[in-house]
Amino acid sequence: MSAAAPLLSVNGLTKHFPLKGGFFGRSTGTVRAVDGISFDVAEGETLGIVGESGCGKSTTARLLVDLIRPDGGEIMLSARRLGVDLPLRDLRRNVQMVFQDSYASLNPRLTMEEAIAFGPTVNGVSTAEATRLAHELLFKVGLEPKRFAGRYPHELSGGQRQRVNIARALAFKPKIVILDEAVSALDKSVEAQVLNLLGDLKRELGLTYIFISHDLNVVRYMSDRVMVMYLGEIAEIGPVDAIYERPSHPYTRALLAAMPSMDPDHLTREAPLAGDPPNPINPPSGCRFHTRCRHAATVCISTPPGLYTLPGERHLVNCHLAIPNSGHPGIEAVTA
Amino acid sequence: MSATAATFERLATVERSPGYWSGVIRRLRRDPVAMVALAIIIGLVLMALFSPWIAPADPYRSSMLRRLRPIGTPGFPLGTDELGRDMLSRLIYGARLSLLMGVTPVFIAFFVGSFLGITAGYVGGKVNTVVMRTVDVFFAFPSVLLAIALSGALGAGIFNGLLSLSIVFIPPIARIAESVTTAVRKIDYVEAARASGASSMTIIRVHVLGNVLGPIFVYATGLISVSLILASGLSFLGLGVKPPEPEWGLMLNTLRNAIYVQPWVAALPGLMIFITSISFNLLSDGLRSAMDIKA
Repeated sequence: MSAAAPLLSVNGLTKHFPLKGGFFGRSTGTVRAVDGISFDVAEGETLGIVGESGCGKSTTARLLVDLIRPDGGEIMLSARRLGVDLPLRDLRRNVQMVFQDSYASLNPRLTMEEAIAFGPTVNGVSTAEATRLAHELLFKVGLEPKRFAGRYPHELSGGQRQRVNIARALAFKPKIVILDEAVSALDKSVEAQVLNLLGDLKRELGLTYIFISHDLNVVRYMSDRVMVMYLGEIAEIGPVDAIYERPSHPYTRALLAAMPSMDPDHLTREAPLAGDPPNPINPPSGCRFHTRCRHAATVCISTPPGLYTLPGERHLVNCHLAIPNSGHPGIEAVTA
Repeated sequence: MSATAATFERLATVERSPGYWSGVIRRLRRDPVAMVALAIIIGLVLMALFSPWIAPADPYRSSMLRRLRPIGTPGFPLGTDELGRDMLSRLIYGARLSLLMGVTPVFIAFFVGSFLGITAGYVGGKVNTVVMRTVDVFFAFPSVLLAIALSGALGAGIFNGLLSLSIVFIPPIARIAESVTTAVRKIDYVEAARASGASSMTIIRVHVLGNVLGPIFVYATGLISVSLILASGLSFLGLGVKPPEPEWGLMLNTLRNAIYVQPWVAALPGLMIFITSISFNLLSDGLRSAMDIKA
């Protein structure tokens, strides 16, 4: 990837959900679902996003397609800023999303061709043209239009439905497709087929993917770069090999350690993480991971580390251990 | 993007699945109870439409000489009422006003309540709070009490009776509409439609209505029987239809003095109300199970 302007650039994106529940729906607190994250996605690459439940993966995805309004930060597409010189309409046409639940993603009252044609028709394409496009896309995702165009969602299998959902997203001719756990609900053999389809489509149409998953193997297979999220913040972001081979954040290491190893020579030595992530309503002070980190020192409790660029590659990590002269005494000094 | 001709060829020969509603009708046809109920309702409607041709006598012609004849009297198969009018003819004519009073309020409330509920459910937030809390105020009253209070305040008469019954049925329908819409609104296909940049009206038309109106409709058909009974109750109390119009609830009222003389004749209007309301209830049940199947 060249160092030209990134296709998608996110800067300080923030979303705090107010907690309603007091008298007359008065706010009683905020959930810091996404808390000031910044990242770039280059044209043609796949950015994988991993993290535990509740770390803000899906909220990030929904913010990117403006299904929820951010509280702060900016989204830039091809160097145009959303709300300034990038109309929402353009963002939506260029960034489309595939959801996890293939059944809930399709209106049970619409046939497959109607479901795919809906997007183009609301954007001014004639019904006949949109239907023709729907048939073309069905063919492209490996479903014979003759057999599937007139079918309803309940007549299709999970894998077939997810192919339709991909076709529906592609109907906008988007530059970026966000796959929010798009293959997680499929069984393994079908998952592999859909992943291959995604790879083919990406090559054929020059797509850029944001691939959200909790399955570390799948993310490694699909991604060029990986972003690890923890409690609404970026823990570590970098090229896939760097993240998987030389993880710098203790959280990334713990995540990878939880992955079953297929190779007896690469046995996991890292102890798995204990406990649940802390409540995002009152996130821990300093580094958000310090409550579960085996290497936490006093500096971690008091000061948030901030993203630090490791030398050499585009590898950023949010940890005092990686930052020289951060005040952290080093792994040996604190590890119990 | 080549192979356009081939695409068109495919277009022409697409296999179409039967739609959702044809499946509902197919399943409803296989339900004997619902079909019997539907037949009875159709019969009642035909009876109401063609009562001048069906009724053997004039329902208004009274005679002091032949009051309260028993069932089976020659010339008066179902006897006569307290003013000597032919019961059979009055029951047949009674279907007109009774069905009107039963169905119209639910019909009006279906439109108004669905509109309020779907708007509140889809828009959410403050609009939802304002609409639903207002509805709750009406909902807090027992429906009979509310109907009596409203038509008492508006005065007796068919129009006022219809108006008060419509107001009684708006809150329950609005509540159902709101809860179904709130549920549908959160489903991914509505989210995906929002991400497509479609306007709220388009999303409601294409994605919300089709999935919301069915359940509301089923609930509303179940209310028809309640409306019939409430309308009859209003007439019974002298707040709905006025004498000498034939209406089942009113007939029940005027015949109650005769209950010791001709109990069977006096019970006939009640029997008609019972048959009509249970038919609507059974049809509504059948419709619900026909629509309920994951399809």
